[in-house]
Amino acid sequence: MKTTFSTIVALLFVTSATLYAQQSDYQIQQDFRANHAELTERINAATSTDELSDISIDIDALEADYSEYSSLINAAVYPDTFSGMVRDLRNRYNATSVNLTALEQANERIDDLMAQVDDFRNRLAEMDEEIADLKQQIDRSSANERRQAALIRQYRQNVEQRDTFVTDVLEQLMSRYQEVDSATQDEIAAALERMSDNPIELLKTIIAEYTNMADQDSGLETPDFVRMRAQHGYFSDVWNRIGDRLANTFAPDNPVQARQEVTDMLAAWLASIDNKLWNALTTSFNQNGIELPPFTSASTFNNALNQYVDNAIEVSRESNSEEDYQVYRNFANYWNNTVKAQWGELLVNGGILSTSDMAAIDVKLNEWGENATPTSNLMFILFLISLAVIIGLVVLLVTKKS
Amino acid sequence: MAKPTITTLSLCVAILFGAAACGPSLVIQNVDFAQPLESVLTPDSENQVHDQRYAIKFSISGILEKEGADSVDEIRLIRSSAGYYFVTAHGFNNVYVFETEESELKLKRIIEITRNGIGQPAFNQRSTHIELIDRATGDTYNLDHVGRR
Repeated sequence: MKTTFSTIVALLFVTSATLYAQQSDYQIQQDFRANHAELTERINAATSTDELSDISIDIDALEADYSEYSSLINAAVYPDTFSGMVRDLRNRYNATSVNLTALEQANERIDDLMAQVDDFRNRLAEMDEEIADLKQQIDRSSANERRQAALIRQYRQNVEQRDTFVTDVLEQLMSRYQEVDSATQDEIAAALERMSDNPIELLKTIIAEYTNMADQDSGLETPDFVRMRAQHGYFSDVWNRIGDRLANTFAPDNPVQARQEVTDMLAAWLASIDNKLWNALTTSFNQNGIELPPFTSASTFNNALNQYVDNAIEVSRESNSEEDYQVYRNFANYWNNTVKAQWGELLVNGGILSTSDMAAIDVKLNEWGENATPTSNLMFILFLISLAVIIGLVVLLVTKKS
Repeated sequence: MAKPTITTLSLCVAILFGAAACGPSLVIQNVDFAQPLESVLTPDSENQVHDQRYAIKFSISGILEKEGADSVDEIRLIRSSAGYYFVTAHGFNNVYVFETEESELKLKRIIEITRNGIGQPAFNQRSTHIELIDRATGDTYNLDHVGRR
């Protein structure tokens, strides 16, 4: 039994020795070089960190498989060394891993951006559809005033919701691009080809839809147009802040033209708003018994207000009648309760009136109030009565003495 | 008469010794010429092989003639620690052992391996000898410049 076991062990030794002897040193180093070259190529061709993780395992395996032949390989690859070549592979692996990780993070950011832009566009499209549907219903329901009024209210609410949504979009764009660094700009610029949509195109769509809405006559009134002006003011402000960065990031080939296109569209939108706004403002003041001089711009509107109040003050100084006082009370009421209270913030944001413009009107309104208040005759009558009583008493005393 | 002759001979011997003493006499012992890996070389159209790494270039025409072969795709060459070159190729029956002379490789020995041609020959450098393996058959042969060991 012992002899059999010894024979088997001896045979195994001889067999393994034979197997070892059959290996070509030249072939071993050739295989190592081929494996090394293949791994190098795989690292260079890797497009994801998942692919790289497999390569890492294979580098470890290469080192384990050939470490016993390291002196042989050192002789073959001189002046390189076995450990140097394995280290070179690991360095390449690490560098590629860092690059791919950064690339994947950049891709994720681009995907997020594209998804966000798509979401914005889809939501805007839904809102535009709802608004267009309401507009059709308003046009059809002209025979029923109550229903039409309800539809206009709904329409107005939808426009306000859309404004709020667009403001949120702009806020997000600002927070993302106001401080965008050049590395991020380059990263996005490199990914532009695979972006079906981008924020500049989204902004153009929004502006075009706003312009279209301003051009339509859908039962909108002064507050709606003032709100549009305010929205335009906010939009312009945002564009002034991030327009350059957006144009450089999303239209790197021709940023000046991209910026000018949006600027032109903003100007067209403002013209459409103004086309309706000044008439609507004139009508609103007229409907409240206030006949302002004609105006066609923010500055002429301010002049018209001042001119109206200045004239009223002059009239009050001269006549000081109850009728003038009613005119004053009517204007003050409309100015304080409607213009300032309801539209004030929108007027400022829309660049129609500044806070100092309104403060100036307030000062003049006080002066007008002082002049318009009718003066009472009661004190004068009481004075005359008192004087008559005193004279009577004096006469009575003199008569009694004599 | 004999005295001048002896004097002349003595002078000649002295000159010879002097000349020998002035010539190169340095010999470096225990040189290891071992090439750690065999070289696999492809002959050009003129049967020249050139080993860039170990800096040797020669014609294999004479070897082919000896082997009775017209051409080979590649030859395998290795130098032993003693400084002898061993050459063979696929289909050869023999390993050719050369020693170096000035601008020459001089055939030292032809070691017969097989009569059927070596299938896939490969040389390995071993500490005491050159190992020849035939990867086609799995046969192993231990060689030195004298022959098979």
